[in-house]
Amino acid sequence: MTELRSQAVVLRVRSFKEADKLVTLLTRDAGLVTAVARGSRKTNSKFAALLEPLTLGNFLLHQGRSLYTFIQGEIIKAYRSLQGDLVRFAYAQYFCELCERSLLEGMPSGALFMLLVTALEALEEDSSPVRVARCFEVSLLAELGISPDLSGCSNCGSRQGVYHFNPREGVLLCAACPHPVESYPVSAAAIAIMKRLQEMGFHRLSVCVIPSGESKEIHRMVADLLMHSLGISRLKTVDFLQQTGLL
Amino acid sequence: MFYPDSIANLIAALQKLPGVGPKTAQRLAFFILTLPRDEVVQMARALVNAKDKTHYCRICGNFTDDEQCVICTDQRRDPSLLCVVQDARDVLALERMREFRGRYHVLGGAISPIDGIGPEQLRIRELLERLQDGQIQEVILATNPTVEGEATALYVARLVKPLGIRVTRLAHGLPVGGDLEYADEITLARALEGRREF
Repeated sequence: MTELRSQAVVLRVRSFKEADKLVTLLTRDAGLVTAVARGSRKTNSKFAALLEPLTLGNFLLHQGRSLYTFIQGEIIKAYRSLQGDLVRFAYAQYFCELCERSLLEGMPSGALFMLLVTALEALEEDSSPVRVARCFEVSLLAELGISPDLSGCSNCGSRQGVYHFNPREGVLLCAACPHPVESYPVSAAAIAIMKRLQEMGFHRLSVCVIPSGESKEIHRMVADLLMHSLGISRLKTVDFLQQTGLL
Repeated sequence: MFYPDSIANLIAALQKLPGVGPKTAQRLAFFILTLPRDEVVQMARALVNAKDKTHYCRICGNFTDDEQCVICTDQRRDPSLLCVVQDARDVLALERMREFRGRYHVLGGAISPIDGIGPEQLRIRELLERLQDGQIQEVILATNPTVEGEATALYVARLVKPLGIRVTRLAHGLPVGGDLEYADEITLARALEGRREF
């Protein structure tokens, strides 16, 4: 049996059988992994706290035919403060759902693991969870290799004027160039903020101001890119954030 | 398979139960075949009866055969004490203790954005309506000690506290018969936070 020792973040936990948990992990060394943790729902389980969502830990897993089996582990950080704030909690779960949906099981992605840990840390400290979310989304696109080209009009090269965003190709088109029906106008301010997030990521994020309108524009561009490039749509956490007016 | 349709159907039906795989379903099906007809009829009636008659209590959300559950109609219960739980099964767990003499409120789940469950999907509005009559003096939050349970407890606490009602949370800590050496740091930290004078 193959052994996997890795740091990982618990993305999702589901009840399984009588007293087991089915745990989805984003590991540093093996990407997305689903493991069964036997007996972990019992009150005397010594790993119950480790196998909770939004926990960063060291994990030892055994690879079975279809699933990994959790053997043991230890907590590195539990991000407890995120549980006390519904907005931060919802955004943290949004990050987890995005990671879960954008990766295939067993596809190693150490960079995405580091991005998630950085985003959870930022979510604990930053005064604006929305700002952290926009930065995470833009950084995620870069890690997945589907960052939009924001350098100018992809058709004529123009670097001035009003742009339309073509989500199918992830490019900008100027007003003078023909643009497909699914494209839509985006403000210069939203493009400038997105460029800043692409270049600097979480570095000095606290000084980056993202007004509500531009934040919504960036979120729409990211969501459309994820849908056209990876087929990701209808995220439950996004529905939750919209219903509760938190997005 | 080589089973007659009647047995194959029974095995398929039993396999729908949680934790029952094909082998267990097969074993259960053959056990049922060995039972006297009366017992099988009784079992089938119990299943249909439970499905038809059981519903949720109009007041607390607990399981009941009537409009209100036995706990809500019991006049000996302390009306000033309300225990908020996630699931109707949690009421049964707490009742096994035979210590708690207050009443319950079942939320019907916990806030979990990743599963699409928000405050609107839970019986939080009904809880706030129950608190309006001024009878309830203390709300005990007994949601599970999980990430979702904690988030739900904090959310409910923020809504209830401004009403001037005492809000308490079930203690977290070491299980009876447990070993300190094997306790994880989160549980130990919470046990230390919740320590009390001896």
